[in-house]
Amino acid sequence: MEKIILFLTVLCYALTSCTKEKTDYEAEINTIIPERTQFEEVATIQNGPYTLRIEALGGKLYKGYNEVRLKISSQGQPRVSEATLLPIQTGLDEQTATCPHLHQLTYKADNDYFEGYIVFTDESSEMARWDLQFGFIANKQQHNSIQHVTVQKQSNKNLNMISFIGSDGEQYIIALVAPQKPKVAENDLVAGIYKLNKPTTGSTLAFYSQAEGYTLELDPRMPEPSMGNHSSPNNKDLLPGADGLYHGVVNYTMTGNWTLNFILLNQQGRIIKGTVVPDDFTPGVAGVKSELHIDILF
Amino acid sequence: MKWIYIVITVLLSIPNLYAQSTIVQKDTTKVLQEVNVSAKGKKKIKTDTKLAVSVDEFLASSQSISFIKRGAYAWEPMLNNMSSERSSVTIDGMHVFGACTDKMDPITSYVETNNLSTVAIKSGQEGNLHGATVAGSIDLQRKNTAFGLDKKMSGNYQTGFEFNNKQYFNLADLSYSGQKFAADGSISFRNAKNYYDGNNKEVKHSQFNKFNSSLGLAFKTGERSALRVDAIYDKAKDVGFPALPMDLWLSRALITSASYKQLFEESLVQFWDTKIYYNAIEHYMDDTTRPENLVHMDMPGWSTTYGLLSKIALQRGDYSSEIQLNAYDNLSIAEMRMYPQDRSNRTMFAYSWPWVTTRFAGLSNNNSWNLSARSHIIVGGSLGVNYNYSKYVEFNWIFHPGAPQEKTRLLPGLHGSYHMSIDRFDFSAGVGYGHRAPSISEAYGYYIYNSFDRYDYIGNPNLKNEVSYETNASIGYKTDRLGIQAKVNYFYIQGYIVGKILSMGSPMNYQSVGVKGYTALDHANIFNLALSGHYDILPTLHWKGSLTYARATDGRGGNLPFIRPLSYQSSLQYQHKQFGIQTSINGDAIQRDYSPEYGEDKTPAYQIWNLSADYSLPIRKVNLTLQAGAENILNAYYSTYADWGNIPRMGRNIFTSLKCNF
Ligand SMILES: [Cu+2]
Repeated sequence: MEKIILFLTVLCYALTSCTKEKTDYEAEINTIIPERTQFEEVATIQNGPYTLRIEALGGKLYKGYNEVRLKISSQGQPRVSEATLLPIQTGLDEQTATCPHLHQLTYKADNDYFEGYIVFTDESSEMARWDLQFGFIANKQQHNSIQHVTVQKQSNKNLNMISFIGSDGEQYIIALVAPQKPKVAENDLVAGIYKLNKPTTGSTLAFYSQAEGYTLELDPRMPEPSMGNHSSPNNKDLLPGADGLYHGVVNYTMTGNWTLNFILLNQQGRIIKGTVVPDDFTPGVAGVKSELHIDILF
Repeated sequence: MKWIYIVITVLLSIPNLYAQSTIVQKDTTKVLQEVNVSAKGKKKIKTDTKLAVSVDEFLASSQSISFIKRGAYAWEPMLNNMSSERSSVTIDGMHVFGACTDKMDPITSYVETNNLSTVAIKSGQEGNLHGATVAGSIDLQRKNTAFGLDKKMSGNYQTGFEFNNKQYFNLADLSYSGQKFAADGSISFRNAKNYYDGNNKEVKHSQFNKFNSSLGLAFKTGERSALRVDAIYDKAKDVGFPALPMDLWLSRALITSASYKQLFEESLVQFWDTKIYYNAIEHYMDDTTRPENLVHMDMPGWSTTYGLLSKIALQRGDYSSEIQLNAYDNLSIAEMRMYPQDRSNRTMFAYSWPWVTTRFAGLSNNNSWNLSARSHIIVGGSLGVNYNYSKYVEFNWIFHPGAPQEKTRLLPGLHGSYHMSIDRFDFSAGVGYGHRAPSISEAYGYYIYNSFDRYDYIGNPNLKNEVSYETNASIGYKTDRLGIQAKVNYFYIQGYIVGKILSMGSPMNYQSVGVKGYTALDHANIFNLALSGHYDILPTLHWKGSLTYARATDGRGGNLPFIRPLSYQSSLQYQHKQFGIQTSINGDAIQRDYSPEYGEDKTPAYQIWNLSADYSLPIRKVNLTLQAGAENILNAYYSTYADWGNIPRMGRNIFTSLKCNF
């Protein structure tokens, strides 16, 4: 009898092993989206007794929104509590420009580093070389350092950016900040919206500022022909938050290619850019997109 | 041997003439008989005109069961005109959950006629012995050979061929009965090609292939105790579902159990039967045979259940009772992966069942008192705790932000009835009250495409329990040659769960026209009436007939879908020595009260005529029965109110079968 039961147990085991494996859902999202969770060193600059260590997620800078940290160690010198950052792009004809960034870095006393962000508008090439200019005041003296950096192609489509000229003739940049790794779920969508200011007299550089009081209307779709421009419910338009970024909610109903269709409205509710995407379900046809959109993938 | 049968449930199950379940008292010779006793006078698994039938065909012959048909295989049984999530369908009391989001695999598809001894159908709350229900219960009871029978070995073999869909089948089973050991084994194969409708047109994707085998071993462990282990292995491959946009590539089920039964002598407790069980189902759909599909999809599903049931039967004087503990844990997973036309692009993935766990524990109790020789009352109740957990609850949050990941529900049930017989009449009247929890799809389903109304369905974790209030009555009259019976029941169901069009979201499946979410109607009313009768015209000539009528509304005057119109069945049977001839007609009247809101259209009336003849010939110890006949002789072209997408039913079908048993 024991043998019979043993035999049955073995048989059960053989019969219950699945013919097809279940999808490892979490692992699958990880393979598509390169994980960057740790701040690692991008470069270090020596400036007299001061060592400037530039850090970014994964130790690399990418086109689009980058959170950066600056650690200044000062052997024996008083602590540095103020620092500035200026990214400079140099073109073929030695023309210089900058990109959206936080100029006056925020000091995080707890961890003793400066925090900021840079939205690189191009990846490094011969046409676009990037340097970071740092300035800090120590011993009542202004110190300056410059460091050449390489900006990589954005490998995570969820951090894509777009730059365009609005109906008001101004130049804007929208860069996705979060979620870095979306889920089939309700996701908090965060984007930075920047507006190019006219160069002030006496300056050769035109600076970007955070666009204030705008509204970014959101309509996420799956543009794949088989998906018929499928959309999702319960999304929320992006509105400015206290951190200067725009916050909304996007629901992704399944993994795959999605398009975030936007309409940017100014303070007066006037359309700066973007078109309404028809609600029609159009299987077999590539989905219509707004004039203002960013494609993502997860 | 003298058996005392306490037929509780026959009397209990008012709308189910044929359903029987019995509690057995120990026999006086103190020999432990078989673990589960097969009911005397149970209905053999055959229909009026056919000896070799499928489980579905057999169930279809019951008055209280109707079927939603999506093809030639795996029909979804509807009890009291309610869909399968409202009834408790079990195999020997064990819960098995299908792994298909499109309901391609009702539990009835995982058994075969040659491993069943009977099917116990109970209506309404009387069916809550195995767990919470609204519509009632269908318990598929397996064959179970007793110890120490005079005949040690017995067996059956059935083979046959049906011409319409070139179906051939081979079913064999063998039973052994020893003093200390008993065994049942069965094996069956069915293979069918596409069937042809009444216009002789081939119904594409209606083929099926089924393999089923079962084994049961019983060991006597003492004078009055026995241990039994059972297993069913079922495999369906390449099954077409003409009414759905997909077919089945492979479905496998392994259903196992081990039970221990102890009988008691001269005590209040009659027996105590405890069973642990495990079953696993895998289900893989296939759309590659449908070139018209724009999108290729993979939709695998898995369902795993562990369970326990323990039952005690009590008897003292005029009082008898059964108490049953039910507990199970089920995990249901269904995935959906869509492939873009450009296969180099990323596939799209979502869970249609996001790893949903269901745990249930409940206690049921049924009591019967004989008030006098002519009357008795039955009172029973059940109380269950139902727990759900959705692992990837973020899928559910898309439509129901903030819905709880876990949900615990209390599911009470109560019923009572009074039964009386005076002379040739018998009467009964009963009431019931019960709750049921929403099904996995209703609560946690995600973009499940329903090809009937062409909507994608979204589950709602916040749904309340469906609460049913029912009342039923029956009256019967019987003479030696004549029997007639009328049965009615009425259900008032609060929070009746249906799909309603959502104003948000957009379809995901490309055939879909919109998104529906499961919501609850304030209430629904369901009324069922069944009349049946039989008359022995001559000792050799018997008539049987039945008529059913149902009406169901959504509480605002609208009709509920899948409600059977007026239907009838009438058969004549003539037996002369070894020779028998049977004929029957059955049909539905026009579907007057259809529901356009749920995708229904008006189905015309139809009538089907069947005829068969059989001859049995005993050769020594072997009894051979030959049968030949035809269903739908007039080759009527029809589809019924419950044929998914109005797919036509089978046209004329000539069938032959050979049965031998020893
Ligand atoms: Cu299926």
